[in-house]
Amino acid sequence: MLEDRYNSPLNNGFVGINMSNSDARTAREEWGSRFGFLMAMLGAMVGAGNIWRMPFTTGQNGGGAFLIAYTILLYAIAVPGLMAETAIGRYTNKGVIGAFNEIAGGDRSKGLGLVVLIVNVALMSYYAPIIGWALYYAANSFLMTFTAPGFQPQAFWDGFISNSALVIGMHTVTMAAIAGTLILGIRRGIERVVKWMIPLLVLALIAVGIRGITLSGGMEGLAFVFTPDWTFLTRGSTWVAALSQALFSTGLGWGIALTYGSYLSRYDDVPLGGGMFTAIGNTSIGLLAVFATFPIVFAFGIEPTAGSNLLFIAVAEVFSELPGGAAWAIVFFSSFFFATFTSGIGISEVGVTTVSEETRLSRGGSVLAVCGAIWLFGIPSAYSSSILGQMDYIVGSFGLPIATLSIIMLVAWKLGPERLRVIDLNRNAGFYVGKWWNPVVKYLIPVLMTFIIGYGVVTSIGTENQRLTVVGIALTMLVITLSTVLMDLIDNSPGRTRGSTSQSGD
Amino acid sequence: MALSSITWATMLFALVALPGVASIVLLRSLRTEERKLELIKRQDAIDSYSPEALFDLREWIQEHPDDPYESDARQRYNECVRTLRTVDETYYNWSVQQIEDLELIEE
Repeated sequence: MLEDRYNSPLNNGFVGINMSNSDARTAREEWGSRFGFLMAMLGAMVGAGNIWRMPFTTGQNGGGAFLIAYTILLYAIAVPGLMAETAIGRYTNKGVIGAFNEIAGGDRSKGLGLVVLIVNVALMSYYAPIIGWALYYAANSFLMTFTAPGFQPQAFWDGFISNSALVIGMHTVTMAAIAGTLILGIRRGIERVVKWMIPLLVLALIAVGIRGITLSGGMEGLAFVFTPDWTFLTRGSTWVAALSQALFSTGLGWGIALTYGSYLSRYDDVPLGGGMFTAIGNTSIGLLAVFATFPIVFAFGIEPTAGSNLLFIAVAEVFSELPGGAAWAIVFFSSFFFATFTSGIGISEVGVTTVSEETRLSRGGSVLAVCGAIWLFGIPSAYSSSILGQMDYIVGSFGLPIATLSIIMLVAWKLGPERLRVIDLNRNAGFYVGKWWNPVVKYLIPVLMTFIIGYGVVTSIGTENQRLTVVGIALTMLVITLSTVLMDLIDNSPGRTRGSTSQSGD
Repeated sequence: MALSSITWATMLFALVALPGVASIVLLRSLRTEERKLELIKRQDAIDSYSPEALFDLREWIQEHPDDPYESDARQRYNECVRTLRTVDETYYNWSVQQIEDLELIEE
C-alpha cells in the first residue's frame, strides 16, 4: 500500500532528510502517498471556475468545436507548463520565494517570487468569501432550506449577500477551517482532507449528472454543450477563450504546483502526475460539471449564461421541484463547497510554505500569519460583492497572468528548460519527456501568455472595464517594482550571499 | 430530445480524451508507484533514469562541463549508473548490454 511507504523500515528511501549525497534537500515534510499528492493537486486546481465557467464557455463558443480547440491547447500548453512548474518545485525543494532566490540568484528577477506570493494572497482574499458562500449554501442544504415550502432563491440570495455580518462571518469560518487544516501540515492536514473530499466531489458530480440527464428536457443541455458548430474553429475568439480556459482553469503558474511539487520525494514522478494528471483531471471535473449543471439548467428553463448566479439562484430553485430534492441539494452544494475549499487550501499553502521557509516563524505561526492576512484583506470583498468583482477582474486579468509568466520565465530563461528536463524532469519519470518540451516552455507559453495579457488590455479599451484595466496595469507595475526593490534589499543585507545561474547550460 | 450522431461523437470524444485519459493516467501513476516501492523494499534502491533520459543527461554533462549545475547532474548520473550495476531488477527497461556499456563520469 502506498500509505505504508513511510511506515516501512525502508523509510529512508523516500524521506528527504535521509537523501543520498546527490540530493542535498531541505529537511521538510513530504507527501505520505502518491494518491494524496494527486488528489491535492486536483483539489487545488478544481475550483468555482470549473463548475460555473467551463460549461458556459463551452456552450457559448461552439460547443464541441470549442472542446476540440480546448483539448488541443490543454495538451500542448497546460500539460508541459504544469510539468515545468511542478518540476521546479521538486528540484529546488523550496516554496516560491526560495525557488526564485535559488535560481535567479543575484539577479533582480528574483523579486518576481514575491510577486507570485502577493498575487496568491490577493487571489485568496476574494476567493475566501466565495468559499464562505458555498459553505453557507452547503450548510443550508443540510437544513433542507432549498426544499422548504415558499422558498424564494432570489430573496434568499439577496438576504444573505446583503447581510454583511453574516457574509464576513462565513468568510471568518472559512479561513478558520483552512487554517485548521493547514496547521496540521501536508500529510495530516491537506492530504487527509483531499483524499476523501475529491473522490466525493467526483462521485457527487456523477450522481447529479445522471439525475440531470434523466430529467425531461435534460438532454437539451447536452445538445447545447456538445453539438459542434465548426465555424467557431475559424474564429480567433474561440481560440482565445480556449487558451484562457486552458491556462487559467488549470492553475498553471499560480505557484500551487511549485509549492506542492516541493513536497515530492526524489522517487516521485513529475510528468505523469504533476503534468498530465493535474491538467487533464482538472478539466475532466469541469466536464463532469457540464453534465451536472446543464441538463438541470435546460430541464428547468434557466438562463445558461448566468455565471455565479447559475448556482446560487437558478440551480437553488430546482431542488424543490426535483424528486428527492433535499438529498440532491446536499450532494450538489457539498460538492461545490469541496471544490472551492480544496482550492483555498492550495492557494493558502503557497503563502504558508514560503513564510515558514523565509522567516523564523514555525509552521503554526506561518499559518496564522498568512491566513490572518488573507482574512483581513478579504473583509472588503466579503463586505461588498462589487469590490469582490473588481478584485476578480484585476487579479484575473493581470495578477495571475503575471504570476504565470514569472514562473514560466524562471524555467524558460533563468534555469533553462533543457537543464531542468535532463537533470530533474526525467528523473523517476512515469514517461520520458523529449526535447519537444523545451521550445514549448521557452517560447510558446511565454508568447501566448503575453498575447493573452495584451489581448485583454486591447479589448477592454472603450468598455466599462477600461478604468479597472488602467488601475490593474498601475498596480501590477507597482507590485513588480516594490517586490524587486525589496528582495534586492533583503539579498544585499549582511550575511546573505547567493550565486546566480548562467544560461550556458541551455 | 434525441441527440444527433455528431453530438454523441463529440461527447464521446470529450469523455475519452479527458476523464478517460485522466483515469488511465491515475491508475498508471499509482501502479508505477507501487512497483517503485516494491523494488525499493526488495533491493534498497532503484534506477532513477530511463535509458533515453540517462543518455540525454550524459550528453548534456559532456556538452556543458563548466555549467554551475554540472556537478549536480554528474552526481545524479553516477548514482544511477552505480545503482544499475548493483540492483537485480531495474525499474526502467534496461538491457544487460546497455548497463555493461555505461561508464561513470569522473570529475
